[in-house]
Amino acid sequence: MLKTNKMMKIIFLPILLFFLFFLIVPLLYMFWQSIKIGNIITIQNYLDALKNIEIRRSFFNSFKVSFAASVFTTILAFLLVYAIHFTTMHRHTKKLVHIGITLPMLLPTITYGFVLIYTFGNQGILTKLIGQPLFTVYGYNGLVIGYVLYTLPVAFILMQNSMQYIDKRFLLVSMLMHDRPLRRFYHTVFRPMLGTIGGAFILTFILSFTDFGIPASVGGNYRVIATELYQAMLGSIVHFERGAVISVLMLVPAVIGVVMLTILERFNFQYKQAGQSELVKHRLRDGLFTAYSIVCVVVVFIIFSTMFIVPFTKGYPYNFSFTLEHVQNVLSEQDLTKVYANSLIVAVLTAVLGVAITFLSALLNARTPLKGRKSLDLASMITNTVPGMVLGLSYLFFFNGSSLKGTFLIIIACNIVHFFTTPYLMAKNSLQKMDPTWEVTAELLRDSWLKTVIRIILPNIRPTIYQMFSYYFLNAMVTVSGVIFLVSTKTMLVSTRIKELQHFAKYTDIFVLSIFILCTNLIVKLGCDYITTHKEKVKEMSK
Amino acid sequence: MKKSTSMMLGTVSAAAMVLAACGGAEADSKDQVIIYSNADDEAIEVMESTLDDKGYKGKYLIQSFGTSELGGKMMAEGKEIEADVVTMASYFIESAQTSKSMFVDISSDLKPLDGGVTYALPILGNVGSIFINTDVLQQKGLSVPKTIKDFTDPAYKDLVSFPNIMDSSTGWLLVQAIIKEYGEQEGKKVLADLIKNAGPHIESSGSGPIKKVKTGEVAAGFGLRIQAIDAKNEGLPIDYIDPTEGNFTLTESVAVVDKEGDEALAKEIAKVIVTEARGGLLEQYPVALYEGEQVKTEHVPAHLKKWDTTLTVDLLEKHQAFFKEAQQ
Repeated sequence: MLKTNKMMKIIFLPILLFFLFFLIVPLLYMFWQSIKIGNIITIQNYLDALKNIEIRRSFFNSFKVSFAASVFTTILAFLLVYAIHFTTMHRHTKKLVHIGITLPMLLPTITYGFVLIYTFGNQGILTKLIGQPLFTVYGYNGLVIGYVLYTLPVAFILMQNSMQYIDKRFLLVSMLMHDRPLRRFYHTVFRPMLGTIGGAFILTFILSFTDFGIPASVGGNYRVIATELYQAMLGSIVHFERGAVISVLMLVPAVIGVVMLTILERFNFQYKQAGQSELVKHRLRDGLFTAYSIVCVVVVFIIFSTMFIVPFTKGYPYNFSFTLEHVQNVLSEQDLTKVYANSLIVAVLTAVLGVAITFLSALLNARTPLKGRKSLDLASMITNTVPGMVLGLSYLFFFNGSSLKGTFLIIIACNIVHFFTTPYLMAKNSLQKMDPTWEVTAELLRDSWLKTVIRIILPNIRPTIYQMFSYYFLNAMVTVSGVIFLVSTKTMLVSTRIKELQHFAKYTDIFVLSIFILCTNLIVKLGCDYITTHKEKVKEMSK
Repeated sequence: MKKSTSMMLGTVSAAAMVLAACGGAEADSKDQVIIYSNADDEAIEVMESTLDDKGYKGKYLIQSFGTSELGGKMMAEGKEIEADVVTMASYFIESAQTSKSMFVDISSDLKPLDGGVTYALPILGNVGSIFINTDVLQQKGLSVPKTIKDFTDPAYKDLVSFPNIMDSSTGWLLVQAIIKEYGEQEGKKVLADLIKNAGPHIESSGSGPIKKVKTGEVAAGFGLRIQAIDAKNEGLPIDYIDPTEGNFTLTESVAVVDKEGDEALAKEIAKVIVTEARGGLLEQYPVALYEGEQVKTEHVPAHLKKWDTTLTVDLLEKHQAFFKEAQQ
C-alpha cells in the first residue's frame, strides 16, 4: 500500500489554495453581495429581481429557447452518431461528418451570430440566392440555430464516445430472434444510450442557457438572461446587486442539471467488452443516412462559408470582386496584432498551467492515499456547474480594487477554473486505467514517488496530456462569456475584441479575426491529434 | 524521456516567469496613457492620426466602448477606472464629476461657446437626422419620408433602423425629438409604433443604423447626420433628410481622470485632442463648439434644435423609462 509522503502534501497545498482563492471565495463573495443591501442581510434583492418583469421574461425566454435548441441538437446529434456506428455508410463520409460537425468548436460563439446574419439576413448569401429571406434571423430563430451549431459538436462527441462501447453482437442476436426493427433499435441501441442521450440533452441545455456570445450577436430584441446579466453589470446604469442575484439564479438550472446527470448515470450500461460484428448492408437505410449526414455537414459549411467570402470581397453586398484589402488593413493595424498576441499568450499559458494543475489534481486523487483528495472531485463538480459568465463576474466582484484586476493572470486563472472539469476527468480516467501497483513496486525499489511519476506515469499518460492541452488551448482561444468582465485595454483578447468590433459593425474585421482564431486552433488541434495518434501507432507497432 | 520531462518542467517555469512579468508590467505603466472613448470609429481615427502626427505614437492606447458601457463603468468605478483620459458624452462626464469628482482641472484659454466647465473640454458635436437608402426605398415602393413619424407607417415594417437609447446617446437624440414635438402622450404612441416597425433593427450602437442602411438591410434609419453625408459623398445610394421634428444635438467632451498627481502626459494628450484634432473632428462633426469656428453651409441642418434644459444622466434615465414604457 502506497503511503502518503511529504511531496504529495507539498503539491496538494497550492492546488487547494488555488481553488479556494479562485473558485470558492469569489463565488461566496458574490453570493454575499446578492443578499445584502448596505450592511443589512436581506432577500430583498431577490424579491426585486423576481418582481422585475424584464428579468422574469428573460429567464423564461432563456428556458424556452435553450430547451428548443437542446431538443433539436440531441436528435440531430443522435442520428449523426447512429449513422457513423450503425450503418455501412462510406468511411469517407463518416470522416467528413466527424470533421464537419466539430469544426465550429474552433470558433467563438460570438462569431456564429455574425455568420448567421450574413447567411440568412436580408443581405445574406442564402437570401441572395433565394431572392428573399427565409425567416428573420434575429431573435428566437437566430438563437436556436446558433445554439444548435454551438452545442451539436459537444453532443456529438459525447454520444459518439458512448456509442462505440455498445456491443454490436446484441444486434445480431436480436436479428436472429426476428425482432421487429423498432424493438431491435430500442433494445440494442436506444436503451443502452439512454443515459448518454439524457446527458447530452442536459449539457446542451446548460451550454445554451449560459452562453453569452450568440445572444450578444444575433439576439436582437429577444432578451435572454445572459444579456440581462451583461446589461446589469455593464449597462448605462449599473446594478451590482441585480447582477449578483441574476448570477445566483443562473446557477440554479446548472445545479439541477448536474444533479440530473448524476441520476442519469445509473442508466449507463457498461459492457465488459464491446464486441464488433459486421453490420448487415441495408441499401435504403444507408442511403438515407448518408444523405442526412451530408446535408448536415453541407449546411454547417454553407453557414460558415460566409466568413471566408465577406472579408475577401471588395464591398459586400455591392461589389463581389476579390480583394485582400480588408485582410491587409486588419494586419496593418498594430492594435489588432497585439490583441492576437494577447490571445496567444493567454491560450498557451492557460493550457500549460491548466494541464499542470489538472494533471496533478487527477494524480493526487486517483493514485495517492492523500487525505482530503476527494475535495478535488468536489472542485471539478463545482467548476462543471458554474457558468463562465458567473465565474467571471464573481472575479470582478472579488478582485475589484486588487492589483490582480485587469491582468493576464486573472484571465488565465478564470479559464483554468472554468474549463477544469473535462481535462480533469480525462486525466483521471486514464490514470485509473493504469496498473495500480506501479507506485508500490517503485517504492519497494526505493524510487521516490516523484521520480516514479516523472519516469513511469507521465510517459504513459502523454497522449492524454496532449488532448488536455488542446482542450484548454482551444477553449481559451474562443471563450467570451468567461472573460468578458475581466479584460482590460492591455489584456484585450481576440474573442472579446470581436464584441467590441460589433459596436462599430465592422463585420469584415470580425471575420478576419475569426479566421485567425480558426487557423490557430486548427494548427494546435491537428498538431496535438497528430502527436497523439502517431505515438499510439508507434506503440501498437512495437507490440 | 528525461529530456522531454525537463522540457515540460522548463515550459511550466517559463510560463510562471512570464506571468510574473505580466503582473509586474501592469504595475508601472504610466508611460502609456489609456484613453477610454465612446466615440465612433471616424472620430477615433481622427484622434489617432493627430496624436501619431504629434509624436505620441505608442504613448497611448484607445479603448472603445458603447456609451452606456463606458457610462456604467465611470459611475461604478470612479477614480479606480483603468483609463487616464476619457472622451464621452458631456452630460455623462458632468454627472460623473458631480457624483464621483473623478476628473482633474484642465481649464485653458480655449473658449467653448457654451461657457463649459473646468474639468472637461468639448471635442465634437453630434447632430441627428434621418437617412434613406434610395435604391431600397424605390425597390419597396416607399415614398420619401419627411418626418420621424413617417416611419411609423406599417409599410416600413422591418425596414427602419434606429439606435437604442438604452445603449447609445444617438438614440437619445431621437427620443428628444419625439418628446419635444409630440409631448409625452402622443410621443409614446409614436415611439411605440416606431419600435414595432424597427423590430430587430434597434441598434445598440449609434453607427448601427447607417451600416444597416448602407448594406440595404433596411430602407431608412435615424443616426448621425454626418455619417449619411459621408456615405452619400462616397457615391452610395444614400440621402439624408432633416426631420421636421428637429435635428437635436449633443456634445462630447474630453476629461482627465484624477490619478493622484500622475496626470502630466494624460493632460498633454487631452489638450492635443482638443486643439490639434479639433480641425479634423469639426469636418466630421460640423458643429461649432468654440468661438470663431465656421461650418460649411451644406453641413448646417435645416431644423437645428437643442433640448431646453441641461442634459443630465437623471434626464437620460427619465427618457429611458419613457422608452421602456413605449416598448411594453
